[in-house]
Amino acid sequence: MSEAQTLLSVSGLTKDFGGIRAVDSFSFDVREGSITGIIGPNGAGKTTVFNLVTGLYKPTSGTIRFLGEEIGGRRPDTIVRHGIARTFQNIRLFNRRTCLENVLTPLLQRERCGFLGAMLGLPSVRRMERALHDKAHSLLAALGLDAYASFEASTLPYGLQRKLEIARALATEPSLLLLDEPAAGMNPEETHSLANLIAEVREKFNVTILLIEHHMDLVMNICSPIVVMNFGALLATGTPEAVRENPEVVKAYLGERKEKR
Amino acid sequence: MDYILSIVILAGINMIAVLGLSIFTGFTGLFSLGHAAFVAVGAYTSAILTYYYYVDYYLALAAGAAAAGIVSLIIGVPTLRAKLRSDYFAIAVLGFGEALRVLLENLEITNGARGLPGIDNFTTLPIVFVCLAGGIFVARNFLRSRWGAACIAIREDPIAAETAGVRLFRTRLLSLVVSAVYCGLSGGLLAHFLSFIQPQMFTLVQSTQLLAAVIAGGMGSISGPLIASFVFIALPEALRVAQMWRLVAYGLLLVLIMVYRPQGLMGYSEITSFFRRKSGAEWRRPS
Amino acid sequence: MFLQTLITGLSIGGIYALMAVGYSLVFSVLNFSNFAHGAVIMLGAYVGLALATKFSLGLGLVIAGSVAGAGIIAVLNERLAYSSLRRRKAPSLYLMISAMGCAVFLENMVYATIGSRFYAFPEFFGRQIINLWGSSVSLLDMGAFLFALAAILGLHLFISRTRTGIAIRAGVSDMTMCSLMGVDLDRLIAVVFLLAGAFAGVAGVFLGIKYLVYPTMGWVTNKAYIAAVIGGLGSLPGALAGGLILGVVETFVSTYVSSVLRDVFSFTLLIAFLVLRPNGLLGRDGEEKV
Repeated sequence: MSEAQTLLSVSGLTKDFGGIRAVDSFSFDVREGSITGIIGPNGAGKTTVFNLVTGLYKPTSGTIRFLGEEIGGRRPDTIVRHGIARTFQNIRLFNRRTCLENVLTPLLQRERCGFLGAMLGLPSVRRMERALHDKAHSLLAALGLDAYASFEASTLPYGLQRKLEIARALATEPSLLLLDEPAAGMNPEETHSLANLIAEVREKFNVTILLIEHHMDLVMNICSPIVVMNFGALLATGTPEAVRENPEVVKAYLGERKEKR
Repeated sequence: MDYILSIVILAGINMIAVLGLSIFTGFTGLFSLGHAAFVAVGAYTSAILTYYYYVDYYLALAAGAAAAGIVSLIIGVPTLRAKLRSDYFAIAVLGFGEALRVLLENLEITNGARGLPGIDNFTTLPIVFVCLAGGIFVARNFLRSRWGAACIAIREDPIAAETAGVRLFRTRLLSLVVSAVYCGLSGGLLAHFLSFIQPQMFTLVQSTQLLAAVIAGGMGSISGPLIASFVFIALPEALRVAQMWRLVAYGLLLVLIMVYRPQGLMGYSEITSFFRRKSGAEWRRPS
Repeated sequence: MFLQTLITGLSIGGIYALMAVGYSLVFSVLNFSNFAHGAVIMLGAYVGLALATKFSLGLGLVIAGSVAGAGIIAVLNERLAYSSLRRRKAPSLYLMISAMGCAVFLENMVYATIGSRFYAFPEFFGRQIINLWGSSVSLLDMGAFLFALAAILGLHLFISRTRTGIAIRAGVSDMTMCSLMGVDLDRLIAVVFLLAGAFAGVAGVFLGIKYLVYPTMGWVTNKAYIAAVIGGLGSLPGALAGGLILGVVETFVSTYVSSVLRDVFSFTLLIAFLVLRPNGLLGRDGEEKV
């Protein structure tokens, strides 16, 4: 059995916004092939960590290494090309574009294509476009969205919009997929099928998952390890059982017993 | 008959510039009230080439368009960087328009504020038609390509666009250059149609007309702004409306559209979709 | 010569500062560029002109009248053209387009109704010259500069000391939170525009006295935008600094290099700042919260 390598390694990560320290000397690792969960009370800095990893914010100090390479402070699109994709807490779709076009956009960005040829509409370019259309369709189909391919993204029901965002993220062919509260606003049934979807995605697309969640049933069910944050710093990390029993965690977070967001 | 012909040619020339601005504002979502400056660059460059240096007309047109594209980089490179707000570009392009006008009024070669008369009348209806048709063809290909998809993604959500692998700065710059090239071509055609150009012909007035056509026609549409542009040229001529009242109307139109119907006439769809029913699938809902 | 240029520069800088402050104030609270600001300045000048010529009022009343008039116009402008967009949380692109639409509409309405004739204010300041360390400065320039300083200082005191001012500063930080704390957002925004309009009115009158009154005078506001960017978008002390610096530097270029290239120079200065220091001298570095 080969040793799973460390995909993402965050060390001493700190982020200040003016006088506020949102992330405080935060360190953790993500093992390849795992589904790692980050939990913590609201305002603990979880989404800020995501934003730092994906290049939306520049770290104040600390390092973020992906596959050995330092990516802290790089541009978001550069980091995407390295193989990290994400979804957002408040869904950010290309609202007025169809589902197909939402997924097609990242696929197109990955294509090497001559500008002149594209402007003239050469047959080779048309062929490439058709191939990408097919690829987009199959990606939608893999997430059960192919029926909605020509629907405008904003017309989709909430749950499907979340799935579409995941599909779009997968179109960038990532090695690491960051999901920011994917189960937000879902009922227990939807959360359950989301858990299955996440496991399926990991299998089918060979991608490591890192997710932020408040739905404890989802996190405890599929994530291992679990990283707990509070006030921007690492509180605990370990298996679901270990975290559940950790008195610090219980005190800071689980003890509040807020069942659902 | 000649009069109608000249209106049609003018409308066609205008439509090319509107198409360019449509790519920048309608499809990339960036605000500009200074694209008349690029029309000016194209007009003067091509006119100077044919007038003083007897350069071949088509070459001069191409040079004018290219010059406009290159000049747009002067404004674009400092202001379209990812972290900067679109306000900076808007302010810079306004300032550029002023600076350009001052330069045009004071250089020997442009004949100053008096303008450049006696330009050869090379522009004909077939030429304008070919340029417009070609422009539409290339625009459609551009919007289907990875660069076009990137532009539209930026319009919808710049942050999500970056997450989809779009390079913000490069794409905005490309959008600007492409739109400037269209305007430059339009300027070259204009100069060789009117046979006379003056700095005062390329001011905020013209930029406003361009923007009004894009907004009224609808952002995210190619056909909408083209229709609006034609109406804006043809209708006032038919009604003999004075220049200043047209501008009053444009200004009012911009505000009313933004407040009551931001998608304009054809927002985010094309006139061809009215004639085609998609089998089984829902209509695209305009937003 | 140097001192003279400096003084002339400061006086036009004062007017630029007055123009920039109104623009920066709206920008800092509402986070958008009110490109209709120039039109309000122009209308303020016309109101002042009407009061001065039709009613033969003195300078003080003329300024007061244009302050009130421009203030009201600004509030109406906001109500009619921006408020529904703001409530819909429309993208700033829409607001900018609406603002430009207002500017074009107002300017050409004046052009079409009142006409394109250039009008002059009555001689409020006479031809008096003051002698300052060997250089001469007209009473008008001195008055404009001092008034600009006083007005901006007054605004600063208002914002830091009064309740409304504190509400405005809260709005700058977080609009939503502000309304959740019980502040009437509509009224607050109306106050902001009233203030911005008031400054525009004064600026218009001084501009009109110094030069002339005509429909397209609002486009001088371009300089105000450039001044605001140099000083730092959204910063009020920045607007003052930016205005003065732009005025002084422009005048030096005008005197020692070439007066014609003045506008080319301001554009180049703008680009230089955008390349080297986009947040201006005193601007805040805003990282958008995702």
